[in-house]
Amino acid sequence: MKTRRDFLRELIVSVGGVSALSTLTACGDAPVVVATVAGEPGRFYTAEEMALVSRLSELIIPRTETPGALDVNVPGYIDGLMADWASEETRIAHRQALAEIERRLSANGGFLALDEVEAEQVLAELDRSAFGEAADELGGYRTFKGYVTRSYFATEGGAREEQQWVAVPGRWDPDVLATDRQGV
Amino acid sequence: MAEATEFDAIVVGSGMSGGMSAKELCERGLRVLVLERGPEIVPERDYSDQLAPWETRNFDSVSQDEIKRHYFRQYPGVPYALKESNKDFWVKDDEHPYEEAEGTRYEWLRGYHTAGRSIMWSRQTYRLGPQDFEENLREGVAVDWPVRYEDIAPWYEKVETFVGIAGSEEGLSQLPDSVFQPAFELTEAEKAFKRGVETAFPGRNVIPARVAHLTDATEEQRSLGRSNCQLRNRCHHGCVFRAYFSSLNATLPAAERTGNLTMVHNAIVRSLEYDPEGNRVSGVRVVDAQTGETRTYTSRIVFLNASAIASAMILLQSTSESFPNGLANRSDQVGRNLMDHVSGAGAAGIMRGFDDRKVFGRRPGGIYIPRYANVTENDKPYTRGFGYQGGASPLGHANGQIPGIGREFKESHRRPGPWRVSIGAFGEQLPNPDNRVTLHPTKRDRWGNPLAVFEVRYSRNEEIMLEEARTDAIAMLEAAGCEQITSSPVNLTNPGNRIHEMGSARMGRDPADSVLNGWCQAHDVPNLFITDGAFMTSSACQNPSLTYMAFSARAANHAADLLAEGIV
Repeated sequence: MKTRRDFLRELIVSVGGVSALSTLTACGDAPVVVATVAGEPGRFYTAEEMALVSRLSELIIPRTETPGALDVNVPGYIDGLMADWASEETRIAHRQALAEIERRLSANGGFLALDEVEAEQVLAELDRSAFGEAADELGGYRTFKGYVTRSYFATEGGAREEQQWVAVPGRWDPDVLATDRQGV
Repeated sequence: MAEATEFDAIVVGSGMSGGMSAKELCERGLRVLVLERGPEIVPERDYSDQLAPWETRNFDSVSQDEIKRHYFRQYPGVPYALKESNKDFWVKDDEHPYEEAEGTRYEWLRGYHTAGRSIMWSRQTYRLGPQDFEENLREGVAVDWPVRYEDIAPWYEKVETFVGIAGSEEGLSQLPDSVFQPAFELTEAEKAFKRGVETAFPGRNVIPARVAHLTDATEEQRSLGRSNCQLRNRCHHGCVFRAYFSSLNATLPAAERTGNLTMVHNAIVRSLEYDPEGNRVSGVRVVDAQTGETRTYTSRIVFLNASAIASAMILLQSTSESFPNGLANRSDQVGRNLMDHVSGAGAAGIMRGFDDRKVFGRRPGGIYIPRYANVTENDKPYTRGFGYQGGASPLGHANGQIPGIGREFKESHRRPGPWRVSIGAFGEQLPNPDNRVTLHPTKRDRWGNPLAVFEVRYSRNEEIMLEEARTDAIAMLEAAGCEQITSSPVNLTNPGNRIHEMGSARMGRDPADSVLNGWCQAHDVPNLFITDGAFMTSSACQNPSLTYMAFSARAANHAADLLAEGIV
């Protein structure tokens, strides 16, 4: 049976093609989101950072019946955000946050070397404390999680398939059952 | 290219009020020139409302360095509206500088292009009520309005029929009903809030926000290429459906189809030339924004619709032997009494019982609580009043700021979560002659025009009013059964931040203490009319665009009558 790591590796390979295609949009001023592969540097991230961001993104928003963070190249989106949008101050803060996240996750061995179950456990624990007792020290993690989530829903896969985003609703219904999967 | 320079009327500015002035003058058969200081906006090319989230990058945010360099005043004022894909709708602050008197702040938030800020406005649309035209006189504040509600009511009706406003008939005396198209229905949480507030406070009402969106387009509106709102809430980017009102979506096309409109872009008005023998404006001198060349256009009447601040500056720049302190400024009121609305007080809370509900569509407005202070409740430690804008919507899980990872976290975004009610006050600012815009004595912009210098302070009345507005907001949320109520300490918005600047060439009965008469006509110069926010004698607390347009239509028709009779 495939381990999660095997699965991720295949996925990452496939991502390059998918995200390269996704840059071909109808808009003349098309977004420049470079295809990324864990372990290779991006425009902003080092190879090590890219590997960490890829792992974290997929653990936070995995592939289910709808695309996961790697399917839609969330790491590439955040890499572009840091390269093109962020000020130097924001870039430094982001780098420091990633280093702090990795340090905490690697307390019992390198995070990237952990197997799927272990990685999920340590990240879940960190996430819990970031919204609990360690809220003050883990603001950087929460900001990162915000980038992952916003990036995911800013992609076509995240918006269309998971969020059921509709470009032209055409009508207003102020009262819909929450379980209804019709779009927003 | 040979270009006509003589017209029946010149309208300076193509925004909210200029568009309406131009439409009405053109429809009366006058040959009208509209001068716009900025470049032309072509909807098919320049609107960005059709972009999907994934067709922009960086969440459509302007880069942090670019904000510091170009939008250091605009962006902090309107972070909700200024995005990467529409940033050209806003001026670059480094190219359009201004100054503030020591110890004061002013946010001059602007867009220079076809239709001005009518492209970027937030479309809240309300009539003033009878009290708004009477309180100055009753309280001995500033000067009396030379008109009453009954004078402007038919013009509201005419303008509203053309504009298209979604709203509900409420029969409130202080906020008269407009000519409405169907309102956007309240959410269930808003209905619960409405019941709670109206039961606990019989003089207060919670109503659907009145917004300039088509929900049942008329034949006239359809003939201008306009159609119903599609509930996309992309309005700050323009609207290819022309469903929300802007000059570009409605009044300018209406003016154009008369065949009487000439529109010139990149024409920055430097001054109005004055003919002392005829006691009239004899020409409008402009500097070409692209070439720096100057030229003069002439007409029988001139309408200033450049915005309250720019129109006052044009008058102040137009000095002559007859008017050493600026054209039509014998009263010394030009540039004074500059007002805006004041916000910075509100509250929010969680409304339980609706977690299993959500909405479909992205509604372009929410709820409105009309003014009650000193209308239905007369026990206030301040004068005038405020309205609240707000709404109730599912809190959702915005930006991932909830615990959890994996499938559970991902799919939690499908659930709307608890509903949050939020309201914020928009208060009236009293006129004060010391609140003013003047011309910098030496500094010039790149086109050689003087920089604006602002000196505007709130009075104690505004400070007390907003403290009370915060207290009232919390009380209403409590009465409606909200939980986890939060309310930041009152922090008044900087003057200018509400983008409702007005009052800088006020109307009045006496030429000694006002600039314009009841027809928006300059006391000192009969062929000069000003129908942007400059004419407002007091600010009321309602969003003012509709009032500017109603007065523009009224003044334009009056001016056309005077021309026909040979009086001007």
